[in-house]
Amino acid sequence: MSNSFDDDNLFAEFCDDYFAECEEHLTIVRRGLLALDNFVNQPQVASSLLEELFRSFHSLKGMSGMIGVKEAEQVAHEMESYLRALREQQVILSQAGVDALIAGTKMLEQILAMRQSKQPAPDIESVIKQIAAVVVATGAGTSAAVNSSAHLTLKPAQIAQLNAAVQSAKQVWLFEFTPVSTLAERGVNVNKIRDRLQQNGELIHAAPRILTTGGIIFDFVVASDASESIFASWENDGITYTPFELNSPAETENSALSPNTVPLLQEEGSPTLGGLGLPRQNSLPSAAPTTSNVVRVDLAKLDDLMRMVGELVISRARLEDNLKKIETLVPVTELRALRETNLTLGRQLRDLRQGVMRVRLVPISEIFARMQFVVRDIAKESHKKVTLELSGQETEIDKFLVERMMDPLLHLVRNAVSHGLESEDERVRNGKSPQAKLVLRAATAGEMVVIEIEDDGRGVDIECITAKARQLGLIAADATLDINKALEIICSPGFSTREQADLTSGRGVGMAVVKNTVLELGGLLTLDSQPGEGTRFTIQLPLTLAIADALIVKAGGQTFAVPLAVVREVMEIQSLKVTALENNEIISYRGNVLPLLRLTRLFQLPVCSNSSMAVLVVGTGSSAVGIAVDRILNQREIVVRSLTDPFVQVPGISGATELGDGRVVLIIDASALFQLSQLLIFSTPHHPNATNNGNGAKKQPQASTFFC
Amino acid sequence: MIDSHNGSEPFILFELVGTTYALRSKFIQQMEMIEQITPVPNAPHFVEGVVFSRGQVVPTVNLRARFGFEKIPYDVRTRLIVIHTDNRTVGIIADTAREFISIPVNAIKPPPDGISGLSGKYLEGIVTLGDRMVLILNPDELLKTDF
Repeated sequence: MSNSFDDDNLFAEFCDDYFAECEEHLTIVRRGLLALDNFVNQPQVASSLLEELFRSFHSLKGMSGMIGVKEAEQVAHEMESYLRALREQQVILSQAGVDALIAGTKMLEQILAMRQSKQPAPDIESVIKQIAAVVVATGAGTSAAVNSSAHLTLKPAQIAQLNAAVQSAKQVWLFEFTPVSTLAERGVNVNKIRDRLQQNGELIHAAPRILTTGGIIFDFVVASDASESIFASWENDGITYTPFELNSPAETENSALSPNTVPLLQEEGSPTLGGLGLPRQNSLPSAAPTTSNVVRVDLAKLDDLMRMVGELVISRARLEDNLKKIETLVPVTELRALRETNLTLGRQLRDLRQGVMRVRLVPISEIFARMQFVVRDIAKESHKKVTLELSGQETEIDKFLVERMMDPLLHLVRNAVSHGLESEDERVRNGKSPQAKLVLRAATAGEMVVIEIEDDGRGVDIECITAKARQLGLIAADATLDINKALEIICSPGFSTREQADLTSGRGVGMAVVKNTVLELGGLLTLDSQPGEGTRFTIQLPLTLAIADALIVKAGGQTFAVPLAVVREVMEIQSLKVTALENNEIISYRGNVLPLLRLTRLFQLPVCSNSSMAVLVVGTGSSAVGIAVDRILNQREIVVRSLTDPFVQVPGISGATELGDGRVVLIIDASALFQLSQLLIFSTPHHPNATNNGNGAKKQPQASTFFC
Repeated sequence: MIDSHNGSEPFILFELVGTTYALRSKFIQQMEMIEQITPVPNAPHFVEGVVFSRGQVVPTVNLRARFGFEKIPYDVRTRLIVIHTDNRTVGIIADTAREFISIPVNAIKPPPDGISGLSGKYLEGIVTLGDRMVLILNPDELLKTDF
């Protein structure tokens, strides 16, 4: 091995650390920026918040400089400058400022992503300009586009002075003086103006302001009891005046929105993001850990740890097997002791496993924080008023899942805002509140995490999807769809990509990818929708992927594992009780019929003719099916290994495990089996009402578009 | 890994249907006897299944099937050669494999234009060692998924 190779390795390792650390800082920044929105146009921003942001940008700048990511260094530097100006109260936080900071943060994310994928850095020129502009523009007052006097930065002392003046019944005025050469010829310059103002009142604040056009304006805040008519004549000297109002913090406090609910887009002019889930008091979430007692661990190391725990689990299973073998040979008392030890070991292993799992868990707010930006952007773009409601932000989810779920969730959220929610006019026409609502919910339910994306928009138009699916030949001409079938259709690749091209061109992933990702992660995607009332996507994911309880079954001579989490019931069925219906088989189940899927048939395994079989009931409602296997061997913990190689990515198999004998056992992906069976009997016509569960009648078409 | 002093590179030789093939040893993770292969339903016809090897679940390709030859039962000479390229780890099943040799880089000739079709695209080069002709395989082509 040559030296340079080692150096490369070292550098690569260093880079990994760098990216990890940047990501951490960006997480803090994203949270901070959202909180910052509360302080737009306020005389002062909570210093702890500024400090935190400042520190993060400072670190980002320093680290980027060290690694040689010049673009990131530059952007972070500009942002740092703006924050410094804010901290030193040279400027007041403007909406443009928040926008610039957000744009800068996004640019940083982009630069890092490009760097990570070894692509050339994006062009940072415009972002740099945008940030630099707010440093200058707000630095001396207000930009030309903004007419509010609140852009002046008054120091606390000046504010006190001003308040005192107001209390002594003086009127406070803002004078703006634009020097031009003709005035200078007449001897009217800024010093003259200042003198003149001081003679007529108390000069509280005076500062020059550079216009974006390059010109200069002087701002004077004067408290005066002189009558307005005196100033009127000054206009010839290039002086304009307006009554000056200080936006008091109290005033904004009163109008502060309830926590977790914030309009994303207000009337034109001053869009604010508001608190977005961060009530003012919490603007620095207590969850932000102090760096001193946090250890950053490479996910790969945790995977290793998890693998080792997995191996322990397997060893214990072996121990148990061996224990069974010697049961008859050992005196009862000794056996009992051995058994107890074995049980204790099992319990301790479970604890260990859970402990390691907990280390991998991160709060879902990592994902949600990003969604806030996305919703904000799209709402702005599409001129919709959207309230984003978040709940269950503290719900913990495996870090790996966070990374994998980011894109699918982005897609669902984008879809909801761009297509699910109606325009303001349309909402009003339909008697709905003009303010649309989008809810992101997360909760833990047993071993699963449930994430919901719910909007109160127009709902999914099943008729429209049906028509389209017929047109594309995805369903038979006379077939009808229920909501589950509709979801399946909008998630089929041909369907969504078509829509993708004209609806959200080039961005994000299609519904097919959303569904595939969820399924790959062993989860479940469901859809609820009422025309005119809204749409809800529900994603259920296993808390963690590494170890699961499973039923070990035998079919056609091969052993398979079925995750226990998806199995609702296990039954013993006599072969005679199975009714054949064309290419389908059904059994009766709790007064209903249940489609029966034989593993041997789906996987083309040799069939043994037993008089009975075991049936695992999976899925709920109309998507419930029975999976027929030859027999059930036992139930045990399995260590899940993914099957990522394209050679062995087949429908119906979600992964593999090893039970301690060196043999691989495939893990059944129960939810995909149904689709696999549909593929196998593709030519048979669809049976429309076998799966309709009764509430289909309510679903009438209303809106003209569906979304996918 | 190229030994720059004499310009040669280590290869692993294996046999398939009487022909000797070579793979660059930098692609080889390990070689082992075939133990238990778990068939994977609905996988491509040349994919024999998955094996558990050194803590990993590895897909295995029957090279005979991949090259369009008749499959034969495994015996004591059958070898599983686990190759690792980019992000993939795949085992290939060869009739037998035992040799480890260094081949001078300049002895490797490009495959003649006359070889085309299925077998041609897997070839990276041809080398003659004594009276033996050895076909050097391109592992990336071997693992392509355009089946």
